[in-house]
Amino acid sequence: MSPLHNLPEETLILLLKKKNQQAFSYLYDNYAGALYGVVCRIVTSTEHAEEVIQDVFVKIWKHVDLFDADKGRLYTWMINIARNTALDYRKSKGVMNEMKNQPLSNIVNTQEEQDQSQAERSARADFIGFRNILDKLKPECRILIDMAYYKGYTQQEIADELNVPLGTVKTRTKAAFLQLQQLLKEYR
Amino acid sequence: MDIEAYISSGIIESYVLGLASEEEISILNCIRKNNTAVEQAIVEAEKALEGLADIQAMEMPLVLKQDIWNRLEAENLVTKEDKTADGQVEQALTDGKIIQSPVQTTDAEKEPKRIVQRQFYGWAIAASVLLALSIGTNVFFYQQVKEGKKLLTETNAILDTQKASLTVLQDKWSLVKNPAVKTIPLKGVENKPDLHALVFWDQSSKAVYLSLEQMPAAPKGKQYQLWAMVDGQPVNAGVFPLKTKEQMASKMLDIPKAQAFAITLEDEGGKPVPTLTELCVMGGI
Repeated sequence: MSPLHNLPEETLILLLKKKNQQAFSYLYDNYAGALYGVVCRIVTSTEHAEEVIQDVFVKIWKHVDLFDADKGRLYTWMINIARNTALDYRKSKGVMNEMKNQPLSNIVNTQEEQDQSQAERSARADFIGFRNILDKLKPECRILIDMAYYKGYTQQEIADELNVPLGTVKTRTKAAFLQLQQLLKEYR
Repeated sequence: MDIEAYISSGIIESYVLGLASEEEISILNCIRKNNTAVEQAIVEAEKALEGLADIQAMEMPLVLKQDIWNRLEAENLVTKEDKTADGQVEQALTDGKIIQSPVQTTDAEKEPKRIVQRQFYGWAIAASVLLALSIGTNVFFYQQVKEGKKLLTETNAILDTQKASLTVLQDKWSLVKNPAVKTIPLKGVENKPDLHALVFWDQSSKAVYLSLEQMPAAPKGKQYQLWAMVDGQPVNAGVFPLKTKEQMASKMLDIPKAQAFAITLEDEGGKPVPTLTELCVMGGI
């Protein structure tokens, strides 16, 4: 399932450091879809996502020499580049503020797609094959991952937004991961 | 510190999700170095998000691949030649381990095949190009060898001719430089002024050599015959051998005494008396 099973991470790093077309092709064919999926969930429009994913690849390509295998996994590193690039883009476009200004009820109360504004929902409809495995998580866990991972909220912001203590945010985060891991097992 | 409590606190997941505060992060980085259980928990959490990314992968517009590559090229971020991959990478790539894609799109089943085919075509094209190059090179070198051989044959032929000419000249030269040998030039008669021959006459051994310096090859069935004029009478000095080249000095019959030499064109084999109408050249001593 994970591309890292296909090519050992150290081999992939060696390959990427060669900076040739073969390396690019491998990187693209095996990771583009996953990284694009992350970007799309953050910037929410195909036009913007296509712009961002290009930046993501350029960053990965440029900075792979700086990647330190002792400090983490390559795939995670790439996902984080995709996520941070997309979040920065969101911030620069002011989408973030718009989202944060949504009334709380809009985030918490509706059972379906409750974390999305009307505009975002229609924008997401642009994407073909948009699958949201997170829908299968308990709503409180799903909201937490969505806010933290895809919208870039801080712990404090989440606590304020959901009106819960910081400790609860951590407990829910733990619970969210346990559910997610369980879900992934079922998928495999 | 109670590691169990730390792991179950949710700090690790917060960190992986990007929620942890700077203080939490620095503590976590310190612990992970010395504690494999924490390190393992971090990896597990990261793998969960990787799995999430795999499952939620989305198909990208096809043109983007080329667009991005063009951009990397434009920014001078790529290495041109593709053949530098070292053994390890090559091995991994050819092992076929990489055929599986994490992209979980609707046509996820088709994807691996397409990659294999693309790689196969890539190799096939590379192999074809190499083969074509190899054939081209072979043809080129074959032509070169052929040319070389032809040239060598030609040169050898020229060398043989030169050698033969040299032998002829050396033979004549040995006659000319011999003080006992008299050289008698025979000049063309009235109606054949261009003809010219040389008689070398060894005064001590009485041997006679004839060289047809400037005489047309004898017509078929005819042969040049040398005569020595002894006291007004023609004496047969032999026929010029048919197979001898004109310029070669050929040994004729010994002549002890003569006042002049002459050549007539006679029927093959020669005649006992010269046909005077066929007189070609003559010269007095």
